[in-house]
Amino acid sequence: MFEYLSYGDTGFGDELLAGTLLTLELALVSLAVGIFLGLITAAAKLSQNRFYRTLAHLYTEVVRGIPEMLVVLVVFFGASVLIQIVATWFDYNEYIEVNAFVAGVFALGLVFGAFSSEVFRGAFLAVPKGQLEAAVACGMSNWQVFHRIRLPQMWRFAIPGLGNLWMVLLKDTSLISIIALDELLRWSKVAAETSKQPFTFYIAAAAIYLFLTILSDLVRNYFEAKANRGIAPHA
Amino acid sequence: MTPSAAISINNLHKTFADNEVLKGVSLSANQGDVVSILGSSGSGKSTLLRCINLLEVPTSGQISVNGEELNLKKDRHGDLEPVDPKQISRIRSRLSMVFQSFNLWSHMTILENIIEAPVHVLKKPKAQAIEDAMELLNKVGIAEKADAYPGELSGGQQQRVAIARALAMEPDAMLFDEPTSALDPELVNEVLQVMRQLAEEGRTMIVVTHEMGFAREVSDYVIFLHEGRIEEQGPPDQVFERPESERFKQFLSSGL
Repeated sequence: MFEYLSYGDTGFGDELLAGTLLTLELALVSLAVGIFLGLITAAAKLSQNRFYRTLAHLYTEVVRGIPEMLVVLVVFFGASVLIQIVATWFDYNEYIEVNAFVAGVFALGLVFGAFSSEVFRGAFLAVPKGQLEAAVACGMSNWQVFHRIRLPQMWRFAIPGLGNLWMVLLKDTSLISIIALDELLRWSKVAAETSKQPFTFYIAAAAIYLFLTILSDLVRNYFEAKANRGIAPHA
Repeated sequence: MTPSAAISINNLHKTFADNEVLKGVSLSANQGDVVSILGSSGSGKSTLLRCINLLEVPTSGQISVNGEELNLKKDRHGDLEPVDPKQISRIRSRLSMVFQSFNLWSHMTILENIIEAPVHVLKKPKAQAIEDAMELLNKVGIAEKADAYPGELSGGQQQRVAIARALAMEPDAMLFDEPTSALDPELVNEVLQVMRQLAEEGRTMIVVTHEMGFAREVSDYVIFLHEGRIEEQGPPDQVFERPESERFKQFLSSGL
């Protein structure tokens, strides 16, 4: 069975590798977008402004309540409809295809942002109040208290939760195969169908996902240790 | 208010929801004075201290630091709020606070804790801040821990670092909020030792404490708060030898 996995024209090894790289790329870019959205949403939830709070809760409720695959479809087809409408305003009537990668990043980022906003909110609130007070009492401005004291300490409370969400995100990238992005699962499927060896290729794909998640755990441990530097485990 | 008053408080009231915690407290501390504030829990002593640097905003009353009155105005609910955040920030940087639970920043080393506010609030050059910080750490006897993190230190050591952090601001006055209450009994002395030394150097200190020995030996003036009012006040000889208030007598005999 291994000849099917070989690298080059005879096997699908190179295609699987390309798919793996695209999966990683998709996951990492979505992570960046998702963290950005999550931080802003958490800040909105903690804001004094009721309008921001309502907006943030609405976003979280809606996105968390819809299956991820539907979010992907809605973003992909919704975006293409929207773009088409905007294009007609400028008298452009040709069909515009939405880039599957961009749509995938947007959909996965939206999902990650909704879930991570709760992780961030909890993490911001977990920073000991006394330490913030000590900063205020020194005459620090609100912004200084936020970015010198609160933000750096927030990570140590957020990383375990973010690690979990990252695992979910990494596996959710496979959903983007339905809008024909050539990531790992789609290549596996193509290879399985072409070679009539579904078991071989799906097992190979599973092993690759497993490898990536184990690797992620190691990376998360590193960041967790870094964020907890100097802080006793019981603290 | 005399011109030499480092801190002067006039008729301070503070209400939380329906609970009036301070019911008109006035006090003044001259340059170099050590004022101890005593009282059982719930007497309002910590709230009084926290009003001085506006960690709590009083409901009414005036506060002056070095003759400069804190600019407060009534908001639309009739509570006071600061008019000028810059003034508040400047005055806070002149009044260092030492907390019961130390409140060192746990993501920074001891040295980083001490130089943080001098560098970012006072805009002191970093090299100078580090040099000064090491001197202060020597003074509180903890220089060898400069690169450790707060979590690696005992409570007494953490509180001495917190005092060094407060000193690094070169404050006009220092506010101590029950600085030894969270410490194991055997660690209390090392902190009191440092505070005695500061008093001898002529620092202006306002100390909320349960340490009667310290209040008696070190203070220039003692205030006993009960249910938001001053029940007894005066020089320590007077209040400890000839207390007038029944409540203060009870408080003293309860051994707290």
